[in-house]
Amino acid sequence: MHPPAGPAASPGPAAPPAGAELLRWQWQEVQVPCLVAAWILVASLAKIVFHLSRKVTSIVPESCLLILLGLGLGGIVLAVAKKAKYQLEPNMFFLFLLPPIVLDSGYFMPSRLFFDNIGAILTYAVVGTLWNSFTTGTALWGLHQAGLMDPGVEAGLMDFLLFGSLISAVDPVAVLAVFEEVHVNETLFIIVFGESLLNDAVTVVLYKVFNSFVELGPAHIHATDYVKGVASFFLVSLGGTAVGLLFAFLLALITRFTKRVRIIEPLFVFLLAYVAYLAAEMVSLSAILAVTFCGICCKKYVEANISQKSRTTVKYTMKTLASSSETIIFMFLGMSAVDTSKWAWDTALVLGTLLFILLFRAVGVVLQTYVLNRFRLIPLDRIDQVVMSYGGLRGAVAFALVILLDRDKVKAKDYFVATTIVVVFFTVIVQGLTIKPLVTWLKVKRSDHHKPTLNEELHEHAFDHILAAVEDIVGHHGYHYWRDKWEQFDKKYLSQLLMRKSAYRLRDEIWDVYYKLNIRDAISFVDQGGHVLSAAKLALPSMPSRTSMSESSVTNLLRESGSGACLDLQVIDTVRSRRDKEDAAMHHVLRGSLYKPRRRYKASYSRHFISPDKQERQDKEIFRQNMKRRLETFKSTKHNICSSKSKARMKEKGRKKKDISLTSDAPNGRTHRSVPWQEAAPVLVMVSSEEEESDSSETEREDDEGIVFIARATDEVLQGKATPGSLDVCPSPCIIPPSPTLAEKELPWKGDQADLAVYVSSETTKIVPVDMQKAWNQSISSLESIASPPGIETGPQHRRFACPVLEEQPQSASQAMPEQISCFQFPSHVSKSGRSLSDSSPDGVEQQELQPLMAAEEQGRALPPAEPRRLMFSRASHI
Amino acid sequence: LRGLNNLLFYRYRDLAPQLVPLDYTDKPDVTLPYELIGSMPELKDNPFRQRIAEVFSEDGDGNMTLDDFLDMFSVLSEMAPRDLKAYYAFKIYDFNNDDYICKSDLEKTVNKLTRNELTPEEVRLVCEKVIYEADLDNDGKLSLEDFQHMIIRAPDFLSTFHIRI
Repeated sequence: MHPPAGPAASPGPAAPPAGAELLRWQWQEVQVPCLVAAWILVASLAKIVFHLSRKVTSIVPESCLLILLGLGLGGIVLAVAKKAKYQLEPNMFFLFLLPPIVLDSGYFMPSRLFFDNIGAILTYAVVGTLWNSFTTGTALWGLHQAGLMDPGVEAGLMDFLLFGSLISAVDPVAVLAVFEEVHVNETLFIIVFGESLLNDAVTVVLYKVFNSFVELGPAHIHATDYVKGVASFFLVSLGGTAVGLLFAFLLALITRFTKRVRIIEPLFVFLLAYVAYLAAEMVSLSAILAVTFCGICCKKYVEANISQKSRTTVKYTMKTLASSSETIIFMFLGMSAVDTSKWAWDTALVLGTLLFILLFRAVGVVLQTYVLNRFRLIPLDRIDQVVMSYGGLRGAVAFALVILLDRDKVKAKDYFVATTIVVVFFTVIVQGLTIKPLVTWLKVKRSDHHKPTLNEELHEHAFDHILAAVEDIVGHHGYHYWRDKWEQFDKKYLSQLLMRKSAYRLRDEIWDVYYKLNIRDAISFVDQGGHVLSAAKLALPSMPSRTSMSESSVTNLLRESGSGACLDLQVIDTVRSRRDKEDAAMHHVLRGSLYKPRRRYKASYSRHFISPDKQERQDKEIFRQNMKRRLETFKSTKHNICSSKSKARMKEKGRKKKDISLTSDAPNGRTHRSVPWQEAAPVLVMVSSEEEESDSSETEREDDEGIVFIARATDEVLQGKATPGSLDVCPSPCIIPPSPTLAEKELPWKGDQADLAVYVSSETTKIVPVDMQKAWNQSISSLESIASPPGIETGPQHRRFACPVLEEQPQSASQAMPEQISCFQFPSHVSKSGRSLSDSSPDGVEQQELQPLMAAEEQGRALPPAEPRRLMFSRASHI
Repeated sequence: LRGLNNLLFYRYRDLAPQLVPLDYTDKPDVTLPYELIGSMPELKDNPFRQRIAEVFSEDGDGNMTLDDFLDMFSVLSEMAPRDLKAYYAFKIYDFNNDDYICKSDLEKTVNKLTRNELTPEEVRLVCEKVIYEADLDNDGKLSLEDFQHMIIRAPDFLSTFHIRI
């Protein structure tokens, strides 16, 4: 590196400058990294631009847009520089751009799904690719022999086979880019994607073998060369896999000892995987296989060893790298296409190639599937086969390989380059564009994003054992037998060796799932805390944020606990005293904002975290409390028959009725977009602990919410359709079909509010520290005044039954209803009333119970927005 | 199918050549004692070996006749209807044979699956959550209906619950 240019530095012996330089233009030194950074920046900015419009990206895959952008940029560069610059260099592609993508796909490969389908994947990858290569190559050769091609195409059989080998391999980058947006079911995805990853070995071997054959010339090929070709296939594929496994082992072993250097943990993952890639590349084994298997195999142990933060870092870094590589690849692919100096067009060759790759892929898929289906438990049906044939996208790997050809040896290289570009563009753009409509039109089974429940996890494991046992008894060494053996081996030796003792204990999958489910709950709690925090900040700007954070989280915790209570009056009666005591104690602790976890829990949890700082401990404690309370509520509700369980049951029905309710979901989906603060409120997520990155249009997921459903029940009430009996939540299995009710149509925000309702109960306010209480009081009581007719002054429980018709039903739906209004109002009101009314101070905990009394006095000041009034009216008119 | 039956018969006989006669025409009353099955080396580590034998054997003690042996296989074959599979899966979980998967059953299952690595507290939490997830009629235990409902909800669940030879 050059020393920085300064006045005193580098006088320059050759030509003494006129004086000391103040600054110097050093473009040469920074040119390369600067260009790299600039291109990455351009590509990333382009991505932002694409995603400005949801409509465009929902129709056109990003890869298409990037290729088109590349074409445009390439054109500009060509026009400005008068020659094509900045091409996709094969070296750059194979050494820098491809590894992150492959590592990402390997590391996040659903390993069980992958190994469950390994037979099919291998068949398609090996047999399918061989079939495609040979048929395409020979068919093109036949076309050439028939004299249909331009005489300029000087190529023999070997040249065409070489071309066939590079053009026939399905490309992992392209497949991933397109299929990620299509969301076909997992089996289909894993087969196509797994094929695209694993066929690398075949492609590499075929390419090399044919390349050497072409260089040797047909006259000099001996029988031994063919044998060598076959042998090298096994060597390359198995060798690549072995390299991957070796590095996976090393990686797992290293991460076992990083306890004190947490900060560089993620680095090892990337470094070792990359070294695996380079090592395999060095000895010309299949580098893609190496990285794929390294990723697949190390994940379990690495994830167990590294800390939570490192896990997140690894995940995000990997995704960032892969995504930017992909972006650059597609953009440069577009830019490379404008370089006409490499082109030589032959219509027959191009059209013939397009036709053959489509045709032979379809034929190959059908033939292989026919054979495979005899062995598969769940056969691949016709539609799957169509998608698989159509999803065989070609991409940058083919392009890089064709660029690597030697023009002196392969005379027709220019023709091949042109054809490859056309094929890649055709598959990525045309097939990429049409595959989504095709999938929709064929009604391909989509993937459902339901998160694994504990039940499924449990039964999956149990079934595995049972099946393995039966296979053992019957004396058949089938799939389950081997998996069982592997798992035992893994448990006995590998995990012992590669995992930390502490991590090993935590790796028990069932507990793991339970833990994850709970973590999700906790996270959504903290998220919600963030929202209340903003409200609290508005209300009490003087409050130190640290304190308010903890308090607000706890507020949510208490809300949660309140939810159980407000679902069932009897529970309140029986449990309240104890809860009060607990709450009071907690309140004390809270005052100092020091929230100490109990030792008992710490033992089982703190392992997961490196050094749990205060915030983490708090979250943990909150989360524990949350679960405990839930269970408590759950238990106590079991005694009294009415319960929150009804939620669960209704939830079930919600699932059952999913198809029917799809129509009624639509308004819900709209709700989220139209009412901004509601969209942000994660309460929704919390109820069923369904913490997915849900885009709001995926309404099926929301349907899983028990409480959403209750809201619909309320709607039924509003319409006067349902009788009180049918609304009864007690065990009678009543099904309320969630049809879009009038109220829902009229008030599109209605669908979701019940979610919030359950969490805001009068009890919630009880333990909130005094200054928070003010805001709460004011907001809630002012809401009360809106929600219930001002004349009615009732106790906190009667407050819930503002409407007399519903009073008889001790039932969540009816309880939730009046509160919907208050809570619907809540966020806007906290801010409003908090700012304007912070002077008036209702005092202690006891007063909280009497909020409705204060309703009248607050009413005048708090301006109710128009919507709740509308709700009031509609309700009144319906009942 | 006949070939399969023969195959299974030979396997059955292989387990205890001294007990099982080759000639089954007059339906001899032969049972394999559980000890024979339970002591198979392959099954050494399988947490469900005894339970499977118990559920599929007619006497409930794990001693299997040839019919039981064939039954076991046919339940797990592809031809068996979903409900039958669900029923047998349910029975395997129902350790105390009271037609409900109650908490103690689940605790047993969880303990078997985790090889007693969880603390009692954790097991309790897991079991509570499992019941909470699947208990539709709210009686604190899972009936066959609960179980079936839960299993049908997961699409490819029972379809993977079989063996082919």
